Amino acid sequence: MNAATLLTWLYPPAVRERWGEDIRHEMSASGIRSWPDTLAGAARLWLHPGDWPETCTGQTRRVVTVALFALTAATGLLLRSAEPSSTLKADIHHPATSLWLVPLLLGIGLAAPLPPLSGAALRNMTAAAVRTLAVPTAAVVALCLTAWSGMAERLTGFADTAAVTCYWLTLGFVALRLCVLVARIARTAALPTTRRLSTALLHIGTGLTLAASQNLLAMVRTTPHPGSLAESTALGLLAAMAISAGHDLRQKRA
Amino acid sequence: MHSNDAQMLVLTVLADRPLHGYAINTAIEELTGRRLGPGSLYGALSRLEGRGLIQPADEAADPQERHRTMQITDAGRDQLRAELQQMARISAAGLRALGVNPA
Repeated sequence: MNAATLLTWLYPPAVRERWGEDIRHEMSASGIRSWPDTLAGAARLWLHPGDWPETCTGQTRRVVTVALFALTAATGLLLRSAEPSSTLKADIHHPATSLWLVPLLLGIGLAAPLPPLSGAALRNMTAAAVRTLAVPTAAVVALCLTAWSGMAERLTGFADTAAVTCYWLTLGFVALRLCVLVARIARTAALPTTRRLSTALLHIGTGLTLAASQNLLAMVRTTPHPGSLAESTALGLLAAMAISAGHDLRQKRA
Repeated sequence: MHSNDAQMLVLTVLADRPLHGYAINTAIEELTGRRLGPGSLYGALSRLEGRGLIQPADEAADPQERHRTMQITDAGRDQLRAELQQMARISAAGLRALGVNPA
C-alpha cells in the first residue's frame, strides 16, 4: 500500500467512494508536498459530516454512529491510561467528580442503533455479536487469568515491557472489535436520526469538556503533572471533535 | 488558500463547463498559477455538492461511478454571481482608495 492510498483511506467513506481515485491521482502527481493538505482535508471533512456526499441512503448516519463509538472507545483507552485518577471518578459515592460521565452516557444512549424487534433479526444480531467478540473475549479472559495468577507481578525487564505492551494491545483490540460490532449492527438496525446523532455528539462533547475542565482545575490546585496536562489536552481535543461534528450535523439538518 | 476561496475557484471554473476533478484543478492552475492541494480541492467539491451548488453531470449513472464530471447548478451560478459582484464592489472601492482607476 503506497502513501497516496493510505492517506486516501483517512477520508470519510462517502468522500473516498466519490473522490478516492481522483485524490490518489492528484497526490501521485503532486508528490510529498501535497501530504499536509491531504491530511488537513481529511481532518476537516471528519469534523463536517454534513459535507459528505452520500453514496447510499443513511450512509452518513451509519458512519457517524460508528465514529461516535470509536471516539468513545478512544476516550475509554485514554482514561484507562490515566488510572488511578483522583480527579475523574466513575463512582456513585463521588457524584461531583463523576458528573462528567452523565452527559457521556446520555450521548451513547442517544446514538445507539436500535435493533429490530423480531426473533430472526435478534438471532442474527446475537450471532454477529458472538462472531465479532469471541476472540477479544478470549483475549480478555487470558489477560485476567494472567493477572490473577500473580505471574505479571514477578516479571521484570523485557518480559515486563512485553506484558504491558500485550495488555494495551488487547485493550486496543477489544475497542476495535466493539466498533466493528457497532458497524455490523448498524447495517440492519434502525439508525438514530440526524437530530439524535447531533444531540448525542454534543452531549459527549459536553461530558469530555467537563472531564478536561475537572482535570485542569485539579492541576491548578496541585502540582502540575505532564501526564495530567497531556490527558486534559487529549480530552479537550476529543471534546472539540465531538462538538464540531455535532454542531455541523445540526446546521445541516436546519 | 482558505477553503471558501477554494470553493469559489471551483465554482468559477465549473461555470464555464462541466469538468472532472483533475481537470478542475488544471483549470484553477491556469487561472491562478497554482494547483489546489487534494484536501482543499476535494473538500471544496464535497462541500459544494453537499450544499447543492454543484452536481454530477450524469445523474443517471451509478452513484459511485458518476464522480468524474461535475457541473454547476442554478443555485451555484446564483451564489457565484452574488460573491463575484460583492468582490467587484470591494475591488473597485479598494482601487479607488489607492488612486487607481479600475479598468
